Amino acid sequence: MNSELLKRILLEACVLIAFGALVGLTINYQLVLDAFAGRLVSTAVETQEVATGELLPMPVLLDEVAQVLENGGLAVDARNSDSYAEGHIAGAVSLPLAELDENELAAFIQQTPKTRILIVYCSGFGCPDSFDLGILLLEQGYADVRVFEGGYPEWRDAGYLVGGGVE
Amino acid sequence: MKNWRSLLYHLSRLALALVFVYAGAVKMNDVVAFAGHVAAYQILPYALNYLVAATLPYIEFLAGMLLLLNARVRPALLTIAAMNLVFMLALLSVLARGLDIDCGCFDPGGGQDVGAGMALLRDIGLMALIVLMWQLRPCQGAVDVAAEEPSP
Repeated sequence: MNSELLKRILLEACVLIAFGALVGLTINYQLVLDAFAGRLVSTAVETQEVATGELLPMPVLLDEVAQVLENGGLAVDARNSDSYAEGHIAGAVSLPLAELDENELAAFIQQTPKTRILIVYCSGFGCPDSFDLGILLLEQGYADVRVFEGGYPEWRDAGYLVGGGVE
Repeated sequence: MKNWRSLLYHLSRLALALVFVYAGAVKMNDVVAFAGHVAAYQILPYALNYLVAATLPYIEFLAGMLLLLNARVRPALLTIAAMNLVFMLALLSVLARGLDIDCGCFDPGGGQDVGAGMALLRDIGLMALIVLMWQLRPCQGAVDVAAEEPSP
């Protein structure tokens, strides 16, 4: 294969990549703009009210989670009780969405002031339980509920303090 | 022998095309979830995860479609090989750091989790298929060059 042909193949591959990227950016430009402007991460506003009036918990990143927990926030583990017993964010309380009954939720509400910042997490990206539990807690009147999408795997892998068993 | 090579080439082309068309399409369907998977690799800064998620699936889909149509095969193969190499390096980095994540290679919004080790093995298989196809692809450029040469 001569170098002229290789150059042509390389050029066409570059055009292909550029065209694909352009199509993607055209379709998703708002998402990318929001990401670069930091509008997809909570900063001053902790909860987001969407057009329908429904309150949604805002995602938070690892560093912010550590900071909030240090300043009195409460981590809430949405995974099942077995996963919680195997390991969880130190100090987190277990509120397993899949196994949740009314008594458990009532006990949590009784023990936890509505003004406390709650960080809800589950098994990492792609796990919907933390988000769903976050919505449930917002509906129960908690003013500041945030979702840690990286969840327990990201927390553990970053070397932060973890707990085991039942707290 | 020539028929056997041609059959093998077209089977490899279709297999690779379907893999990348599917991989691109499911990610295009849920870009935010895919951004989450990219972020889980903990390689890029936050906003760049979204930039990758917003563009990569479309390049995968386009390259897969070209293979499917048997058009611009070598540029599409080169693009897929470059992407595959980047995926393999990212997965190696995940394995080296001992991260416990789903690779996010196909359905980012659900389905079964695939660990980094298994995904890396799959990518090695895909790379072998790419190399095989590159070798089997009839060299149209040689014909072009020969046609351009002045006859004696």
